[in-house]
Amino acid sequence: MSTTPSYWHLFRNGIFGENPVFRLALSLCPAVAVTSGLKNGFLMGIAVLFVQTMANVTTSLLRKFIHPKVRIPSYMFIIATWVTVTDLGMAAYARDVYAQMGLYIKLIVAFAIILSRSELFASKNKVTPSFFDGLGMGVGFLLALVIIGFFRELLGKGSLWGYPIIDTKPLLIMILPAGGFFAMGILMGFFNWIDIKFFGGKGASGAGGSHG
Amino acid sequence: MKDMIKITFSLVVMFIAAGIIMTTVFAKTAPVIKVAKEKEETEARQKMMPDADTIAEAGTWEPFGKRGKYFEAKKEGKTIGYLISTYGKGYSSYINVLISTGKDLKIKSINILGHAETPGLGDEIEKDNFKKQFDGKSLEQIELVKAEGTDKIQAISGVTISSRAVTKGVKEAMKLLKEKYGVAQ
Repeated sequence: MSTTPSYWHLFRNGIFGENPVFRLALSLCPAVAVTSGLKNGFLMGIAVLFVQTMANVTTSLLRKFIHPKVRIPSYMFIIATWVTVTDLGMAAYARDVYAQMGLYIKLIVAFAIILSRSELFASKNKVTPSFFDGLGMGVGFLLALVIIGFFRELLGKGSLWGYPIIDTKPLLIMILPAGGFFAMGILMGFFNWIDIKFFGGKGASGAGGSHG
Repeated sequence: MKDMIKITFSLVVMFIAAGIIMTTVFAKTAPVIKVAKEKEETEARQKMMPDADTIAEAGTWEPFGKRGKYFEAKKEGKTIGYLISTYGKGYSSYINVLISTGKDLKIKSINILGHAETPGLGDEIEKDNFKKQFDGKSLEQIELVKAEGTDKIQAISGVTISSRAVTKGVKEAMKLLKEKYGVAQ
């Protein structure tokens, strides 16, 4: 990387420029699966935020040691270790939260976004920038899940965070997988529209350089 | 050749390190998790049968190939009811249900202890207005219907498979209780 973007720039890149869901279109499978409700989306987002940041930092620390020919299995192992540690730690010491999130944490191992940040960013950058990149990507993912979850729960169940808001279920399809794709597609289009309308379509190249 | 040794070395060292980390965490957390789980299960049973002073395990059975337990609840040495944990085969998981009954084998209440049904859809079975339908029912009355306004168990719209799984699991459990305790009383 020739220029070093500021940390703030790196952080923002994950939220806007290269939002994992709306921009990079990575990890859409879990993004559809868990966003039938606002709460599920939020909890999943928090778990991803943590693992993404830690995996990025670890990968960056070990980047000189990992042999390039076997980097993918090495990244997978780093991610799997962090997920296992998080899973066991929460099961033992935060059982209330675990009761809500336990189902989702194990899924994180297979998240494309985490592996892709290890490969594209953390393996080529120092620890601090990698930390901020992971943080930004995690927050971007979290925000995307929360926005999708908000619309799906409101339209599909007429409630938010489990509390009833309106008395009917306007569109039951919204909480089914098909509705997840509808919501995601419409929001993706909306974000692209904003980008083109107000930023001249430059948003997608955000911080730049992170494609390595 | 040199590359091969390097690759092997790199991977082996990493995997051993990761293995040590995970083993350590597992060894530290496993006992804590076990104690917490047992405590939660005991508490769940006590909550369903608040009058009992002892709840003793009476045996195990196999609903849909899973392992369930049943318990006798006693107060001052007299049996006041039964608890049984059962499973139903749902849409994407086995649904674990705990049932408490009186001595007359009528359901006092049911509770969904665990499942992995579709979040936001299948988990409607956890809601009170579904679970409450089972209260006071005996084996013969447990039947799932889709119509409204009956005294039977009404399926949640859009969640038929999970509703049916819970009903089936409960029915099997009640059959077992009847077999074990029904005749004598």
